[in-house]
Amino acid sequence: MRLLRQTWLLARNDLRQEARRLELVLTAGFFTLVVVVMFALAFFALDGSVQRKAIPGMVWLCIAFVGALTLTRVFDRERESNTLAALLAAPVERLAIYLSKLLVTLVVLLSCSALLVPGLGLLFPSSQVFSANPLALVALIVLGCLGYAAVGTLFAAGLATSSGKNVLLSVILYPLTTPVLLFALVATQRLLEGHPELWGTLSQIAALDVVLIGVGAWLFETVLIGAAHSSPAHSSPASNGSARAAAVSARARSKPVN
Amino acid sequence: MKYIPYALLVGAAALFPYCVQRVFLHTPIEAEMGTAQKIFYFHVPLAWICMLFAVICGIAAGVQLRRRSERAEALAVAAGEMTVLAGVGVLITGPIWGDATWGTPWTGDARQVSTALLWLVFVAYLLVREYGPPNSERIAAALAIFGAIDVPIIYYAVKIWKTTHPQTGVVGSLPQSMWNTLFICLAALMMLSIALVWIRAAQARLAIALDQAWIAADTQQRAAQPA
Amino acid sequence: MDELNVFEQPEQPEQAQASTEAPGEAPGTTKVEGRDPATVRLKRAYEAEVENKVASDYSHIVWAYGVIWAIFAIYGAILWRRASAQRADLAALQAKHK
Repeated sequence: MRLLRQTWLLARNDLRQEARRLELVLTAGFFTLVVVVMFALAFFALDGSVQRKAIPGMVWLCIAFVGALTLTRVFDRERESNTLAALLAAPVERLAIYLSKLLVTLVVLLSCSALLVPGLGLLFPSSQVFSANPLALVALIVLGCLGYAAVGTLFAAGLATSSGKNVLLSVILYPLTTPVLLFALVATQRLLEGHPELWGTLSQIAALDVVLIGVGAWLFETVLIGAAHSSPAHSSPASNGSARAAAVSARARSKPVN
Repeated sequence: MKYIPYALLVGAAALFPYCVQRVFLHTPIEAEMGTAQKIFYFHVPLAWICMLFAVICGIAAGVQLRRRSERAEALAVAAGEMTVLAGVGVLITGPIWGDATWGTPWTGDARQVSTALLWLVFVAYLLVREYGPPNSERIAAALAIFGAIDVPIIYYAVKIWKTTHPQTGVVGSLPQSMWNTLFICLAALMMLSIALVWIRAAQARLAIALDQAWIAADTQQRAAQPA
Repeated sequence: MDELNVFEQPEQPEQAQASTEAPGEAPGTTKVEGRDPATVRLKRAYEAEVENKVASDYSHIVWAYGVIWAIFAIYGAILWRRASAQRADLAALQAKHK
């Protein structure tokens, strides 16, 4: 209960700040719009049956791009105001930090999908089948985004304090999230085809989400502590990247002496 | 202890000629795929080695995070490199074999795609370790753990994804003599890869120790200079 | 079509041979059985196909084995170089301490 309350408090705090500035939602939403327009320009010539095969790819590629963009920004506020160390020192469960960030990412991704799916429906007529089964559509988008965000939040937290390493996030994120994206692709395909096993696939995604969130919650603390303590003052000499740099400079200093 | 990897290397070097001789002269030619199936005897063990070291890398990374053990960290790095190396071997020999028997190098078969995805995860691991920020060894360890957990998930995900695509030919059942040859090749490759991982892990530990020694010497020197 | 053209060439002398032997059943010679042009052509086609297959298998196998061994050799060479660099590093450290 305490965990849930803390999670909700942290998430509410983030969401309130977000509601004040709308920075994440507006940038990500605009990016979604741009991607949809680019898809429309690139694929406008596809005819009906081919369109239906291409649409799952468009949906999840767009979410993967927007997700990577959002995740690089989710922890930025902590980095800029250096609140991550303070947050770790505060009597807050680490799991609550993870879950609240996950929630924020999920909210941003869902608001982007709210733009993405109708947009695709408008530009690609064959994707209007989506509206036939709104419940399954919502479940699919929520579950897919949840799995993506569960992996993404973990690594975004790890890379939070390092500036200019956002490429690394994409390098990590895309291979690791491929399984959940593949499941989501299959489910979307089945949704479009009206496949009877749709709910089976959706429950598989739900199970995968549980695994991903579990692993993410398990690893979050170690990754985050590494991130918060990466400033040179805290670094232990053992097996550390900054130790590597220090050793390199130590060797360089010894050269002119010899 | 120090000479075990070199003994393994010597053993592998002795076993390899025998493997090749056995593969080409003493094992019958497979009826459906013909001589090109000889690639199988090194391709399949390499794939197993790739998976095995992926899992070892994940476990070692878990131990590294839990115990803050340098030994486990060194092993994780070495195993990660071996995974990528064996993965390159598998991903190159696979299409060569496919080209010889199926007529196309890349059929998009579930195993091909899942091996490629696993390989990507571990390439990301090495990239993060090499070019990551100062705290990257923890992120990389988390990545390796995720990768090891992902091994079955990736395979299943690709399999379910494949159901929307046409199926392709699969390797049928093979006679016992071919499996025996396969296991001898597996033994040779295992000896080689364990030796290389061992040497690499020792090097990683030595590198950490050298870094520490240099820093210690440097701080000593700098403490002495102003006085 | 391409394959057929290839086999047309060696077929010529074969046919000539068959035609010389067929009419002249001279005493002291035995009749050649089962060498009619159709069978010979078929056999030739099979032989050529097998030859192509063997050549292709051969090159595929050589490439595959070469790639595997090259990968391990390159990795071994990298390890070797790293080891010698570390040895030099250690020597430099020891020289500094003296």
